[in-house]
Amino acid sequence: MEDTGTTPGVLTAKAAGLVGCVQCGRVNPAGTTTCGRCGSQVSTRDETSLQRVWAWLFAGLVVYIPANIYPMLRTQILGQESNSTIYGGVVDLLHHGSYGVAAIVFIASIIIPVSKFIAIAYLALSINHRVKLSAHTRHKLYEVVEFIGRWSMIDVFVVAILSSLVQLDFAASINPGIAAVSFALSVSFTMLSAESFDARLIWDADGDDDHNG
Amino acid sequence: MAEPNKPANMKIEGRKRSIWSNLSLTWLVPIAALAVTLFIAWQSYAERGSLITIRFENAAGVVPGETTVRYRDVGIGQVESVEFTSDLSSVMVEARIDREVVHAIPSDAQFWVVRPEVSTSGITGLSTVLSGVYIEAGFEPTTEGASETRAFEGVNSAPLVKPGMEGTRIVIRAEDGSQLTAGSPIFHQGIEVGRIETPRLLDSGNGVIVDAFIEAPHDRRITTATRFWDTSGFSFNFGPGGLNLSVGSISSLIRGGVAFDTVFSGGNPVPSRYVFDLFDDEGAARDSVFSESVDNGVDLVVEFDESVRGLEAGSSVTYRGLRIGSVRGLGAFIDDTTGEQRVKLRASISIDPRTLGLEDDAQDAETIRFLAESVQNGLRARLASEGLFSQGLMIELVDMPDAAPAALGIFDTEAPVIPSVESEIPDMAATAQGLFQRVDNLPVEELMQQAISTLAAVESLAGDPDLRAVPGSVTGLLDDARGILGSEDMQALPGELNATVSELRGIVEDLRTADMVGQLVATLESASEAADTVTGVAADVEGATAELPQLISDFRALVETANNLPLEAFINQATELLNSADRLIDTDQARNLPNAVSNALNELRETLAELREGGVVENANATMASARDAAAAVEQAVRELPALSARIQALVGDAQITLQSYGDNSSFNRETVAALREVREAAEALTRLAREIERNPNSLLFGR
Repeated sequence: MEDTGTTPGVLTAKAAGLVGCVQCGRVNPAGTTTCGRCGSQVSTRDETSLQRVWAWLFAGLVVYIPANIYPMLRTQILGQESNSTIYGGVVDLLHHGSYGVAAIVFIASIIIPVSKFIAIAYLALSINHRVKLSAHTRHKLYEVVEFIGRWSMIDVFVVAILSSLVQLDFAASINPGIAAVSFALSVSFTMLSAESFDARLIWDADGDDDHNG
Repeated sequence: MAEPNKPANMKIEGRKRSIWSNLSLTWLVPIAALAVTLFIAWQSYAERGSLITIRFENAAGVVPGETTVRYRDVGIGQVESVEFTSDLSSVMVEARIDREVVHAIPSDAQFWVVRPEVSTSGITGLSTVLSGVYIEAGFEPTTEGASETRAFEGVNSAPLVKPGMEGTRIVIRAEDGSQLTAGSPIFHQGIEVGRIETPRLLDSGNGVIVDAFIEAPHDRRITTATRFWDTSGFSFNFGPGGLNLSVGSISSLIRGGVAFDTVFSGGNPVPSRYVFDLFDDEGAARDSVFSESVDNGVDLVVEFDESVRGLEAGSSVTYRGLRIGSVRGLGAFIDDTTGEQRVKLRASISIDPRTLGLEDDAQDAETIRFLAESVQNGLRARLASEGLFSQGLMIELVDMPDAAPAALGIFDTEAPVIPSVESEIPDMAATAQGLFQRVDNLPVEELMQQAISTLAAVESLAGDPDLRAVPGSVTGLLDDARGILGSEDMQALPGELNATVSELRGIVEDLRTADMVGQLVATLESASEAADTVTGVAADVEGATAELPQLISDFRALVETANNLPLEAFINQATELLNSADRLIDTDQARNLPNAVSNALNELRETLAELREGGVVENANATMASARDAAAAVEQAVRELPALSARIQALVGDAQITLQSYGDNSSFNRETVAALREVREAAEALTRLAREIERNPNSLLFGR
């Protein structure tokens, strides 16, 4: 991977008249639709990749709204019920002096998802539109997005763990709110969105850039 | 590769498909997500509920966003904000209430803040210690239409009666509220059946009223015959019935409480908010059947000159022993109507027209008219003692028809004035003092001296021998008297008297039953005549009998002389005749004639007695008849006597024979005498009878 970044004008399989299987990695001749080794479908470029990226991205955005509006945690302590949204929880933590935890929650629940939305949208747009960005940077960005996406689930894990552990009837009980489901869905959708992105399109875009530039 | 220089295959691409056919199914996901999100958004908006505002005095413990609004302990909403009203006079709490519920909240719904509360009746709202306060709503859900009311008035404390509770709301009136605390229970036969609310003063200031609520179904026990009494605290009573100590439950000791019972039968169901009086204890409540204070009592005034010590507000006003009202207040005023200023005491009383037999809803004017009439007929007020040992007084209305005339003073004061009379209260203290004064004044010492001297005199008198002889004399006197009384004569006397009276009664009875009065009268008349005649005849006869022998002898001698005509001899004979006549007159026989007559009368009486004893009216009748006959015969005979004399004179020839027969057996004489006796006896008997009747007319009438 590093080599591809450092070697401009590298020969791609498409340019070489081949098509690689994304599942097993075998290189098949161009025009082959089924991988000769693993039998999965192969294609030079996934035509619907960008569509799916945008679709999942929109879905993630839609459910991200209620995830921030509705309460994430419904906490009942001695009969007193309090609902806290994601942002409200961060503010509460800051007020209580738990800056570290607040920072973690803030980054995991707000910074990362929002960054992902922006990054995926940028990558998808950069395929069709010429941008001043090196191919290597785009690949790095894509890999970071794909890697970090799962860590957004940390908030959902916290809610899930708290909900299952803190069920002390009258004394204290914590239940997930609507936002927890929404947030989990949002994270899943953005992950799917990143997954749907066909990284090979970046090469084409890079090639175009090189060819034109 | 095998053919390195061979150009790559031609890139052949098919016709570009349209954007729609190229559309990925993945787009369904964001659409679905959007739909779901929009649905959730719409749903949460639709379920958001309506905002209501509740006005509170203060909002202690109400926290926006946390405090919930509950109905029947189920959350129906949440407080969103707490603000002041524009003039800062109260707090407006805005709460969002569930949409389904808010339309059922009527405008008279009550909201109150439930706080933890520790009172004698228990601990309430404990859960709010941890959870914070909440606002409880109480209302009866409206059934018709949707309520549009969105502004409500909050109450400070939980209302006694939650809307929707079944029962009867009543009002209890008491003299003071010291024993009444909000939430105190109401007991019926020991069971708590209701509660009272916070007491509040009457506008008039002379009492306390408190709302109370009796839960169903116990409220059926409440009738007009129900009486309430205070059960809090001790009740200590010492009376003729002995010592009476009654202690309620500890709970009611602390909390206070009210109990009720139906004290007589025949009460009517009461409407809501019916006013009951609270009595101090059960006894007073039960005694109050005829002495309840009344709503439409007629206010009256009584003025007294004398001290009213012992009279107080609440004292009874009685009429013929029946309590008809009570004293409401006492006061003094200066009476200068008579010219000089005098302090009089004025008692204002209230009378229940019902106890006077007037209608329950009688107007005041009607009652006053009735009283005015009564006063004209002598109704007066006076003070009376409540009891023998009581210093308390009461006002008594009495009928005194002979009292000084007075009228009901209708326009004198604020209330009609009943004229009063002097009381007849025996002032026990004064009386006792007077008694002791009299005892003090008694000349005890002199009395003792006199008694001692009297006793000495008696002693000396008793020691006198003469006095000792007195009993003996007295005994002798008594013996004598006893002897007299014990004599047979004396004892027989009543018997004789009885017998006499009986006889007389028998006669009278006979006479009366035989209807012989007329006959008697006739007989009496004839007898009287006969008696007269007989008297005359008797005199004549006496004379005649004195002269007859001589006359007869004269005649005889005359006849003999006439016959013989020897005159000298005739004269001699006549002389002898005269002599013999003299002798005849001088004889005992002639002298005994009256005696003989008397005897004859006695005989006649005896005969009559015999006849009487025969007991037959016929006998008496016959006797009377025979007596009358006899009288008639006598009369006739007497009448015939002159004729006889004439005939004797005329019939000289027969005269001798007649004279001889007269002289020989003198049957005529005897007959005449007997007849005379009979007649006289009869006359006497009748005279006696008449006297007896005259003396004792009752005997005739009453047979005794």
